[in-house]
Amino acid sequence: MTINFAAVLPYLPVMLRGLAISLEVTVLSFFIGSVLGIFVYLGRRSTFAPLRWLGYAFVEVFRNTPLLVQLYLIYFGLPQVGINLDPFWSTLAGMTLNNAAYTSEIFRAGIESVPNGLVEAAGALGMRYLQTFRFIVLKPAIRNVLPSLTNQFIVLFLFSSVGSVISLNELTSALADLNQRTLRTLEIFTIGGLLYFLASAVIAGSSRLAERFLFRW
Amino acid sequence: MVTPLFAFDFGRDLPPLLRGAGLTIGLVLGSGIAGTIIGLVFGTARSAPLAPIRWLASIYTNFVRGLPILIILLFLYYEIPLLFPYATFSQAITAVIGLSVYSGAYIAEIFRGSIQAVPRGQLEAGEALGLNYVQKMRHVVMPQALKIAVPPGIGFLIALVKATSLVSVITATDLTRAGRNVTSANHEPLATFLVVAALYFVISYPLSLLGRWYERRLA
Repeated sequence: MTINFAAVLPYLPVMLRGLAISLEVTVLSFFIGSVLGIFVYLGRRSTFAPLRWLGYAFVEVFRNTPLLVQLYLIYFGLPQVGINLDPFWSTLAGMTLNNAAYTSEIFRAGIESVPNGLVEAAGALGMRYLQTFRFIVLKPAIRNVLPSLTNQFIVLFLFSSVGSVISLNELTSALADLNQRTLRTLEIFTIGGLLYFLASAVIAGSSRLAERFLFRW
Repeated sequence: MVTPLFAFDFGRDLPPLLRGAGLTIGLVLGSGIAGTIIGLVFGTARSAPLAPIRWLASIYTNFVRGLPILIILLFLYYEIPLLFPYATFSQAITAVIGLSVYSGAYIAEIFRGSIQAVPRGQLEAGEALGLNYVQKMRHVVMPQALKIAVPPGIGFLIALVKATSLVSVITATDLTRAGRNVTSANHEPLATFLVVAALYFVISYPLSLLGRWYERRLA
């Protein structure tokens, strides 16, 4: 069979619909997971030891097991204890927990990167606690973690493809499906690969732009 | 209906999982070594004196890092039989090829970063000593860059352990696939995949500890 990209172009809308679902599940799990990640981070620096251990265990368990196995546990395992989630909610739950584990570590590195001397200096200048936190800790911390968070967002986006294994109709699943129907493997996967690549490039580019606009000082 | 949580028959179900874990470790070693060689070549090519070489290396590392590993594996799984209709290919081989291409790009990026982290003065000192490009790389830059590359390298190795789980989708019998096979016989997905997750943890967690230990030692 000769290479013919025109033959697969009519399927572009199907692929774009898949991409929309990939992005939807990524954005949702990134934001919910990041909020959860802040709580995991707070738990890890709690003065209450069991809470610290729980935070540590959560992070290590989710960072040292594959997302696919986590999705199998949620999608195939949880129904055994009466919790039935459809492919979208299963993928969302798995990616959210996964992202919480990774972002909690990113937040930790970011907040620890602000030297204590700066906080003391702010106190010496007569800044109140909230002012200190907002201007001295939070803003530099966000600037420090923005590249890592962007990276995490892209990794999360690429791994949303794992949702296809538990039959979420996102981009990878659309590609596998179109491949079966058209048998134009090279064309389908080239276009699909380009879509993933372009989406990650746009995310990386806009984060760099945001960095330049948000942190001009 | 509530089924007992741990109806997992270790005597019957553990051996296939351990065999799967064996393939998982083999895949990590095989593609880790191949990926390091690819990464070393493309990572140093990113600071090559010739611009077209830099561009080529940059296209490979940046394009592959924008793709999900699952897409790479599925593409090879469907495309290799079309290209070589008469070759009998084990899925484990397809898996190693895909994982090597994938790790090569990430490891190249790690090497690029650590080569650039070596202070410029070091290169200039090599220049002053009359070393040529290869000598400078080999005796001045690389010994320092390799040390810097270890912590992110271990980080990637952990990511690779988890990424290998996706070879189960192209039917290679790794730990995850073995888990699915066991489940289809014992109908205990919760217990079985908890054991599968525990086995991944046993493979991956020592690497996490090793990485943290090395970073503390460097600091």
